[in-house]
Amino acid sequence: MNDIDVHHLAAAYALDALDQRECEAFEAHYEKCDVCHTDVIAFRETMAHVGDSLALPPSPSLKDRVLADIAITRQLSPLVAPPIPLVSRRFQTSWPALAAAAVLVVVLVVGVITFTRGAGDDSFNDQLALVLEQPDARMIDLAVQGEFPGTFKVAWSQSMGSAALMGENLPVAPDGKAYELWLVTPDETMAMYVLDPAADGSVHRTFDAPAEPTAWAITMEPKAGVAVATGDIMYLAEV
Amino acid sequence: MSVLRLRARQPEPPQVDDWAGSLLLRAGRGDQTAFADLYDEIAPMVNGVVRKVVRDPSISDEVTQEVFVELWRLAARFDGSKGSARSWAATLAHRRAIDRVRSEQASRDRQDRDATLTAPSHDSVVSEVESTMDRARVRRALSQLSELQREAVELAYFGGHTYREVAVMLGVAEGTVKSRIRDGLIRLRDELGGEA
Repeated sequence: MNDIDVHHLAAAYALDALDQRECEAFEAHYEKCDVCHTDVIAFRETMAHVGDSLALPPSPSLKDRVLADIAITRQLSPLVAPPIPLVSRRFQTSWPALAAAAVLVVVLVVGVITFTRGAGDDSFNDQLALVLEQPDARMIDLAVQGEFPGTFKVAWSQSMGSAALMGENLPVAPDGKAYELWLVTPDETMAMYVLDPAADGSVHRTFDAPAEPTAWAITMEPKAGVAVATGDIMYLAEV
Repeated sequence: MSVLRLRARQPEPPQVDDWAGSLLLRAGRGDQTAFADLYDEIAPMVNGVVRKVVRDPSISDEVTQEVFVELWRLAARFDGSKGSARSWAATLAHRRAIDRVRSEQASRDRQDRDATLTAPSHDSVVSEVESTMDRARVRRALSQLSELQREAVELAYFGGHTYREVAVMLGVAEGTVKSRIRDGLIRLRDELGGEA
């Protein structure tokens, strides 16, 4: 089968309409082919729309059966590609306790559910004041890890489980990119929130802090956010 | 030792399917409540896809149940950069349904060597549409397809047939079916969108 033939199988593949041999041939090809990759993703989204149009509630008893099943079903671990160490000298020398992060596996909602959106600066200031009133409140500046103009500061209270982030003088993220905030613990690096600076380059956000941080970090990531950091650390605060 | 260990990824930005996607990500961390919410959100779609392919309501229930257990098992492997949670679930549902009808077909074929491909059932989704927006939109989109494109797409997707089988059913060349399916899907994508 030549390459042109293989490209033309993307649609049939998305419909599961290939026999096993062709399916294997196509899968071998498409992982490396951007065109087919994009086609298959789009065709599948299209068929999900078709699926929505077929919506039919299952038997009412099915939900209980499913929930009973999953309660006794072990979940598979995420697939983790070989790690590429981050180029930050401070990171590499300062926290040996974080060796566990080598097999770091992060699956987090990118700031959708638990995030408390401030409706305006008043509510942000109120929330910040509330955090700072807590006896265990901490506030820390994130140190710039290179030549970036902006500044970040984060305040949080473990007992309250809340945090507030203040960014100033931030340049607009490049097209298709956004700043992403990470909460680092000895066990995992949690994606906290994708940050979109206001026109004046500021970011004022309050959010839930689900774990005790050993560090806060900010990277540049694809706009929609990622569950596993891909960019170098731009700003960092070790706690 | 570094704190953050980064993983090489595809460069394209992931599509984050806000609600279902975030529930699935939480489920991937073992959150059964989130999974229950995800069930409420997508079970009708999953069941609809499965039912359309397998037809039999009791088998359909069984397959839908399997699909959800599979979603739970694989939840931590959900990758938003490879499509939305809904499309992942729809893909899994369709695959499972196809597996079921194909394995039944294979066992029937073994029992009856004379078995020929069953006549295509031409009840199209169009006859099932109701007044919901989704249905109206999909009906409109399907009506944009040529009769031949629609037939090929429906026989493959709803009938669970490979494009080679569809070619036999329609009595046309395999290459013709392949391009009908492709043209049909491109048309549908343009009408319905290929985004989450």
